[in-house]
Amino acid sequence: MAARNAGIRISGAALLLALAACGGGGSGGSSPPATPPPPAAVQPTAADTARLLEQATFGVTQTDVVHVQNEGFAAYLTEQLAAPASQYTGFSYTPHTAPVGCQTDPATPTDASSLCARDNYSLFQVQRQFFQHALGNPDQLRQRVAFALSQIFVVSGIEIYEAYGMADYQNMLLNDALGNYRTLLQDVTLSPVMGHYLDMVDNDKYNAAAGTSPNENYGREIQQLFSIGLYQLNPDGTQQLDSSGAPIPTYDQDVVEGFSSVFTGWTYPPLSGATSHWTNPTNYDGVMVSFADHHEPGTKLLLNGVTLPAGQTPAQDLQMALDNIFNHPNVGPFIGTQLIQHLVTSNPSPAYVARISAVFADNGHGVRGDLSAVVQAILTDTEARGDAPSAANFGHLREPALFIAGMMRSLGGQSDGVLLRSAASAMAQPVFTPQTVFNFYPPSFVLPGTQTFAPEFGIDDAASALARENFVNTVIMKGGAAADPTVTGSTGTSIDLSSLAAITDPTGLIAQLNQTLMHGSLSLGASLAIQGALTAQSATDPLAAARTASYLILTSGQYQVER
Amino acid sequence: MQRRDFLFHTGALAGSAALGQLGILASRAGAADAAAADAAAADGYKALVCIFLYGGNDSNNMIVPVDAAGYSAYAQIRSSIALPQSQLLPLQEPAGVLRYGLHPSLPGLQGLWNAGNLAVVANVGTLVQPLTKAQYLLGTTQKPATLFSHIDQQHEWQAAISDKSSNTGWGGRLSDQLNSLNAGANVPPMISTGGNNLFVTGAASQALVIPVSGSFGLSGFSNSAADAARRSALVQLLSLDRGADLTAAAQDVVTEALSSSATLNPILTAINSTVSQAFSALATTNFSQQMLAIAKVIEAHSSLGAQRQVFLATIGSFDTHTNQVNRQQTLFQQMDPVLAAFQSAMAAIGAAANVTTFTLSDFSRTLQANTGGGTDHAWGSHHMVMGGAVHGGQIYGMMPDLALGGPDDAGGEGRWIPTIAVDQYAATLASWFGADATALAAVLPNLAAFSPSTLSFV
Repeated sequence: MAARNAGIRISGAALLLALAACGGGGSGGSSPPATPPPPAAVQPTAADTARLLEQATFGVTQTDVVHVQNEGFAAYLTEQLAAPASQYTGFSYTPHTAPVGCQTDPATPTDASSLCARDNYSLFQVQRQFFQHALGNPDQLRQRVAFALSQIFVVSGIEIYEAYGMADYQNMLLNDALGNYRTLLQDVTLSPVMGHYLDMVDNDKYNAAAGTSPNENYGREIQQLFSIGLYQLNPDGTQQLDSSGAPIPTYDQDVVEGFSSVFTGWTYPPLSGATSHWTNPTNYDGVMVSFADHHEPGTKLLLNGVTLPAGQTPAQDLQMALDNIFNHPNVGPFIGTQLIQHLVTSNPSPAYVARISAVFADNGHGVRGDLSAVVQAILTDTEARGDAPSAANFGHLREPALFIAGMMRSLGGQSDGVLLRSAASAMAQPVFTPQTVFNFYPPSFVLPGTQTFAPEFGIDDAASALARENFVNTVIMKGGAAADPTVTGSTGTSIDLSSLAAITDPTGLIAQLNQTLMHGSLSLGASLAIQGALTAQSATDPLAAARTASYLILTSGQYQVER
Repeated sequence: MQRRDFLFHTGALAGSAALGQLGILASRAGAADAAAADAAAADGYKALVCIFLYGGNDSNNMIVPVDAAGYSAYAQIRSSIALPQSQLLPLQEPAGVLRYGLHPSLPGLQGLWNAGNLAVVANVGTLVQPLTKAQYLLGTTQKPATLFSHIDQQHEWQAAISDKSSNTGWGGRLSDQLNSLNAGANVPPMISTGGNNLFVTGAASQALVIPVSGSFGLSGFSNSAADAARRSALVQLLSLDRGADLTAAAQDVVTEALSSSATLNPILTAINSTVSQAFSALATTNFSQQMLAIAKVIEAHSSLGAQRQVFLATIGSFDTHTNQVNRQQTLFQQMDPVLAAFQSAMAAIGAAANVTTFTLSDFSRTLQANTGGGTDHAWGSHHMVMGGAVHGGQIYGMMPDLALGGPDDAGGEGRWIPTIAVDQYAATLASWFGADATALAAVLPNLAAFSPSTLSFV
């Protein structure tokens, strides 16, 4: 994380200006009113509307553009906040170790045993549903934010391979995505899935006889990754510096040990009908339960010099420790910057971050941590809006899941998710399965040789970049994928390009795709290059031109970087 | 100077031997080493292969004392996660000294040690300048930024810069410095099977990321005029509209991929390569596939016109906060035969002494176990260097005193204050690779803080 703010560190004078520009308030950050606001007096442009939908959904559709233009951004966002949360369904508890009869047999990959393993002991079905929800469900904003949160509050299918466990965890993120951050932090902390992933589950108190101390994994990462980061931040996301110009750490090893002691005495929820005891068997349904006699009884040093008194219950310590984190001034800029990066741009200005931090601190009604207000402020900020951004470093590379879903939605495709989940893996983003808790890519990743932040480029390399182009080839040029007979209700993956094929004029075809995919931003040079390729296509294949033009735009850097 | 006293307490080491362990004396290269080096020098090719053990490998259970007193101290502190003394694989040092043994799942490495092709470098870690425990506790001597944090310590190891964040790594800067030796190469000077990584990021040189297995290339283009026109337009689009930083960067990744995949695919998909035979008996794992791909590229280095290549492979899941004994064993069982096979493959193509393989990792782990049968983030760590040019069969540097709160412990849980800086470890490898004093200073900007600047393990 150290590098994250290095490129946007600003001088003292600039800092004052940034803070003055912030004005102590933050526009557009108020809580949703009880009734939807009246339609916008001036209809937003199609280009800006499409850009908003790129930032707020899993892909722009022309139906949505018309709808949002008519009702205005504020009303659209209000509508999105009210949409019922998507949920992963059809999963139930399975024992941590797959029983005989439910284990992958490489020799017969489609026998009942292998399919049982695939459906219960891998994320196959969860990843499939992820894309089905992204393509079709109405709560697009909630899903986008939940997906961003899944890359901040990371758990991975490498260790959480039981489908029901990952489904439970992602359902929790979907439910909490637009609520209060404090609720989210507690639900993450008490989730047995996170407990398993970062070892808070079964974490026992000091044992002098055995010479062992509490596990430090969750006590460290909840601070470093889920809330405040390593260094004291200004509200605009820049690092505070000490008198010698060095950044100031937010915590030290003693504080890590303090939180590690707080997070002792919790185990898995008991299995249905079973007696709860220390320690319960692996179970991801429900929330962790505490055992006071396994909770470290001593005092605990927290952030900002706060010390918890000795002798409290596990739940008391937990509540006070989470409040201690929640009220740290870093949370707004730390979480706000990452949400901006996931939704809008890799390189927000300090002033943009400061406006979002202000909304995190107070949603306009005296409430701290209101994520719905934060998300609305991010999307309606002046830096996010307009027909075209001016800054050269604005925007972000569509990460594989967004690239895949965006292409399918904008071109009216359909999918059961089977091809899409494997395509995301080939592009180095197996959904919900990063290598470590540090996600697929760090927010601090910079373009080599520059100071430009570009998190998604952390997984954009020769192999994965060509996997993007080859996925477009599969779906656009080769007609997609057929139904998978081993998947119930499988429909395969396809995009019907016949309406585009009906446009026989090459210029008109490119213009239509420019609107559908590029909110009108395709350059003239690019249009001419595509037009050149169209002249060489078959006149007898009615789809040839539509396929070629779609392929070339989708594989271009102009499309893959959302601006 | 209690930490130095510890060396002499082992009894078997005279003062000069201790200095030799520190790498101050000239190399002990034997006749066999020299002969191998001569053969290897035939075309002057050299490769560095970095294996990054992600998550922080517990080196306290990788190199374990075998003498009665040392083992007893170790076993008492490690309690439930101590390895049984009888299972340790002895590491015979020169002059009949036997102080340490290897983890029982590393028999391949023990064989390499016995053959003189493996060295252990003791207690290496991130440092801004040499640091005693007293200085550490006093807090007035600069210590590395963000100790004990995964990503930051990874970056400091990859950058060999520990006082601030860096946008380049030492493998990248080394490639920048020796760029003229690769003037005729038709692939980038660095190749990664572990994705984008700071270690292989230079100011001028970037790594090519190749797939762990199989080939990579653009699908769906036949020789038809229609496809040729589509491909031509695709390439044309890569050079247009470069005003937006990220758009241009995305285009550049594809441009490089199109060029390098055409060159490397025949090499990566070759099934009858000599190096493949060394891997044929191994179980196929992600790591075995990475090392096989690297071996294939090395085998083909002359056709690529490369004189200096830096490679990166990675293995994950060393962050053993729980159930460490089983998890580390599983990881070592995967790693060990692959490293042995890789060295055999290099020997089979006559490149044993042209290729030096070494480990990096976030940090070592606390000597004291936690209540979950695991260990937590620590600091200085022992590392492995392998190859025909390595002056093997020796431990370089000072092993830490395994005492909680002891002279090497930064706190009370066994977090070793390093006695060799990453900078020195990297400088030794860079020097072997061909970096002169000027280049070393450019590659390792803080090297002057440490003496000696290079050790003698290779």
